[in-house]
Amino acid sequence: MSDAGKIRLVATLGGGAAFLLAASIFLIAIGRPPLTTLGQMALYGFGDGYSLSESLVKATPILLCALAVILPARLGLISVGGEGQMYFGALTGTAIVVWFPNGPIFLLLPTMLVAGALGGAVWSGAAGLLRARCNVNETISTLLMNYIAVLLVSYAIYGAWKDPASLGWPASMAFPKAATVPSMFGTRVHVGLVAGIIAALMLHIGVTYTRWGIGLKVLSGNRKVGAMVGFSFVRQTLLVMAIGGALAGFAGICETSAIQGRLQAGLSVGYGLTGFLVAWLSGQHFLRAVPIAILIGGLIAAGDALQLYSKIPSASATILQGLLFVAALGVSGLASRRSARHG
Amino acid sequence: MADDMLLVAGSWAAAMLRSSTPLMMVTLGETLTQRVGIVNLGVEGQMLCGACVGFAVAAQSGSPALGLAAGAIAGLLLALIHGVLCLGCGANQIGSGIAVWTLGLGLTSYFGRSAVGGKVSGLSPLAGPGFADLPFAGPILSQLTPIAPLAIIIVLAAGFWLYRTRTGLNWRIVGESFQTARALGIRPTIVQAQGILAGGLLSGFAGAILSVDYTQTWANEMTKGRGFVAVGLVIVARWNPYLVLPVVLLFGLSEAATLRLQATGLTLSPYLIACLPYVVCLLCVVIVSIREGRIGGMPAELISVFGRRG
Repeated sequence: MSDAGKIRLVATLGGGAAFLLAASIFLIAIGRPPLTTLGQMALYGFGDGYSLSESLVKATPILLCALAVILPARLGLISVGGEGQMYFGALTGTAIVVWFPNGPIFLLLPTMLVAGALGGAVWSGAAGLLRARCNVNETISTLLMNYIAVLLVSYAIYGAWKDPASLGWPASMAFPKAATVPSMFGTRVHVGLVAGIIAALMLHIGVTYTRWGIGLKVLSGNRKVGAMVGFSFVRQTLLVMAIGGALAGFAGICETSAIQGRLQAGLSVGYGLTGFLVAWLSGQHFLRAVPIAILIGGLIAAGDALQLYSKIPSASATILQGLLFVAALGVSGLASRRSARHG
Repeated sequence: MADDMLLVAGSWAAAMLRSSTPLMMVTLGETLTQRVGIVNLGVEGQMLCGACVGFAVAAQSGSPALGLAAGAIAGLLLALIHGVLCLGCGANQIGSGIAVWTLGLGLTSYFGRSAVGGKVSGLSPLAGPGFADLPFAGPILSQLTPIAPLAIIIVLAAGFWLYRTRTGLNWRIVGESFQTARALGIRPTIVQAQGILAGGLLSGFAGAILSVDYTQTWANEMTKGRGFVAVGLVIVARWNPYLVLPVVLLFGLSEAATLRLQATGLTLSPYLIACLPYVVCLLCVVIVSIREGRIGGMPAELISVFGRRG
């Protein structure tokens, strides 16, 4: 096994063990039997067909938001804007539905999805442009833009797009059938999941086997050499940020159309943030992000089920996510530091 | 007439100071942390913890001062995780900050459930209502608690300490170059740990000011990104504690202005108005980034973690 492979194995196993330990301590602290509760969570996450489908539903936006972090990371950029890109994509996608509610399905559905993706691309591309042209740190700009996008959605659903039929509940009109992303196998799993997996595959091939991928690698290491082989940092920054944003924006409009059925305030429960965690847990690797997104999707779905059946607040899933991330970061940091010392 | 104007000016100044005090403390904390070469995005979570714990303690004990102290300690404890991850385990700082934020978010929304919507009585104003009619000073004395002047003193003291004392110099050296620091017999890791903990203490304090003194209530995610705004404002203030003061006050002025504009019956959506702080922060960062060019006032050791620039 290669050195990098060994580090990854140690980090995965050790991180997993550290997480289970931390999770157990947390569960004991809130007065729950750790083993039973963790077992229940595994069951609620993946125990039967229904649990699995709910986990896949949660995994879809998480995967797309993770891809939106990984691609810019290939250029050394740290985008934390998945949440905002989701909201802005949902906003632009919904605009199509609100303006043309009676369009035929073959026109309305694709236009809505493209508008959602474009919205995400614009929101993220703006941060890319600021980074490339004005040296504005993309981590800060994307973080701030998250809050702005959420407020813009609130502005729309409390204002011009508020559905009078919703009896005061702030939401847009319900999406007509012609603007509903199709679901699969009679479950709530929708085609966004397939799109996410295909995107992960294509991006993996793109960065591993094409001239473009080599260009990104060269640029992230040395901009001058990148320019010499014909890759412009400005153009590539815009491109990777916009593609990433398009994926997250697509996730936003899919979530709105397929799951919520209307544009409303709680369309994302921190999927953008969770996508960021998944991107880091996968080591910024497109394909590895797929199983990890499904695993974390299961954790969140299990959190919801625990709240329903065992009255454990779903916020505990956020705590467990945080603990998982702390464990993974700590152990992988230690593993790579150790190997650097011995290597 | 002139007296009325002074009264209005005084109440504006009081509103500006009240709304900018939490931001002042968290921005100062992040400034100190970044001065030693560490970025901490976890300040948002630390602020939340400070707000939640501070509120709970103030409500239980009936003492706002005790709440403020407890909030600061809560922020410190959460920052400890960032320190252990970054310095102890060599984890990536951005990743670690997000992990700390996630933890703070989860912990406060879990343990803060029962406190949502509760009320505490904050610190009492600097002077009783009898002084309210004094021109200018009246509203300031009757509407401000001792927290705002205390915060200003802390900022000035931190600036003095950083630029005028031996240990402050050590911190600045660590932020510029670990190698030089080691050559001078300073242990960079210890200083960095101190920087992270100082930031944690101040961000927790900031959160507690928000819940105990300013809003006197607790709500989920009540910091609303103030921690991230602070990370942006550090750049605008060019990593200088003294500059934190005008930058944050300008910010508080815009917030006070939007609140007052709404009160005059301006028909602009409150959601659009609420965007203003983030937009203003972003614009400030853009302007400073364009003007400062390649590095700006950034401590050199930050460059490796905070994105290569230029």
